[in-house]
Amino acid sequence: MTEQPYNKPLPQRLPENEEFWEGLEAGEFRVPKCNNCGYWHWIPYPACRNCLSTDQTWTATSGKGTVFSYTVVHRGPGGFRDDVPYVLAMVEFPEGPRNPIVLGTMVDVDPDAVHTGMPVKVVYEEIPGEDVTIWHFAPDN
Amino acid sequence: MGFPQRKAAIVGVYNTKQARMIEGSSWTLALEAIQGALDDAGLKHSDIDGLSSMMYDASLTAQQMWVEQLGGRPMTYTSHGIAGALVTKAAAAIAAGLTNVVCIYFGNAGMRAGPSKQRAAAEAAPVVRKAPRVPDWDFNIHGAYMSAWYALWTRRYMDQFNAPYENLAEYPVIARYHATLNPASIMGERGEITVQDVIDSPMISSPLHRLDCSLDNDGGYAILVASAEVAKNCRKEPIWVLGGGEGIYTDFYMSFTNDWINDNGQSVRKASEMAFAGAGVTRDDIDVAAMYDCFPVTMARNIEEMGFCSVGEGHEYIKEGHLKLGGKLPTNTDGGLLSHSHCGNPSGMHVVEVVKQLRGECDARQVKDAKIGAVLSQGYAVHGVAGVAILGKD
Repeated sequence: MTEQPYNKPLPQRLPENEEFWEGLEAGEFRVPKCNNCGYWHWIPYPACRNCLSTDQTWTATSGKGTVFSYTVVHRGPGGFRDDVPYVLAMVEFPEGPRNPIVLGTMVDVDPDAVHTGMPVKVVYEEIPGEDVTIWHFAPDN
Repeated sequence: MGFPQRKAAIVGVYNTKQARMIEGSSWTLALEAIQGALDDAGLKHSDIDGLSSMMYDASLTAQQMWVEQLGGRPMTYTSHGIAGALVTKAAAAIAAGLTNVVCIYFGNAGMRAGPSKQRAAAEAAPVVRKAPRVPDWDFNIHGAYMSAWYALWTRRYMDQFNAPYENLAEYPVIARYHATLNPASIMGERGEITVQDVIDSPMISSPLHRLDCSLDNDGGYAILVASAEVAKNCRKEPIWVLGGGEGIYTDFYMSFTNDWINDNGQSVRKASEMAFAGAGVTRDDIDVAAMYDCFPVTMARNIEEMGFCSVGEGHEYIKEGHLKLGGKLPTNTDGGLLSHSHCGNPSGMHVVEVVKQLRGECDARQVKDAKIGAVLSQGYAVHGVAGVAILGKD
């Protein structure tokens, strides 16, 4: 099968988040962790939401979480129109106390088997011809 | 110091035609709406000295162009956001002497939102050689869009509270019934629907079916808020701003924590508590309401966070029919965003409908003797932006 060019929106790779994108390439989902109060954060901001310290370190999460909510999309926008049905999930990570919830598509899964509370893990997709790797979720059996 | 009750009133409202595609520009549609509201009030464009534009819409620079359009002289007040909050802040600014007549305006022509727009753009675009780039945490990367987002919220709500989908699907049925009584609504002419019709409509993003989703159309509206001094000489009776509040939170569907539904509430709860306290009225005093109802789950959460029922019981409140004309809280009597119009940035139309109800201008859908109304504008799944205004007649 001929590889089609990737025609869905991709994230801009900005210098301030370079460690995040490098993390995905290394198979790690890294988020800012505050060195002052210990909170983990998603999405990244330059300062900790809890104590406003700018002393944060990109730290690898466990890469595992549970489904907070999900939907099976039957009508997709733009480049996703031919992927339907696909599963979109909000995944709650265990790293607290303000547990990150991360949005992503689910792969390697029967849409009918997805349920709230389902254990999942982050999986990584390198995009051919592009400078970013993106993340998805897959069942964590 | 409490909210300055009855120091400012809504004196003019106007909805343009709401339809799938409207010729012309967004500017001309907004202008038509402003002219309509001025006629409704018996005011001239030169009376306007404050401008409020809608969320996502006019930047400060665009507002400056509107100042030029509306008479080419300095105005003294500007604001930006969602309608319930804009009405509230206009009233506060008027009471403080910053402005006398504030115009809240919006128009949207030929600019459909949502997947239909994205698909049209994808079809019109040249052959893609490189993937389009968007901001780094943008939900579009994952194939999310508004209906999919609200599907996620709906699923969470159903699972957290054991809320049957069928209870939520009663809301589109109520909205459509109201639309059949509103000749200006887009869907009214198609007649009433049943819960089974909602279930049988095509699946968009589970559990949401097409009839659970907002319309996607063009349209415009304008609202004029004026001082008591101005209001006494206007054409229609004043609809007083009794109280209000604003809430703002969330970074456009990028950050979430597991406290979407919590005991302390988020933006809508804060804005509502402020509004009812400022107005000095109770939930039981509300004769008619209009609330931002983009999907059934938003309506369930609206009434919970506004304090009309307990958290987790909104779906039962809907099922019991309280929101329907004749019920204890007739809400969105124009048909709302599912059956009247969703013109891209529609929160002002909720204000327009409550004003018309309090004036007694609603004909077949009129709530008898309506004296006090509540408006909720909100976005981002109830915990994001919120604007509440409590309105009343003499």
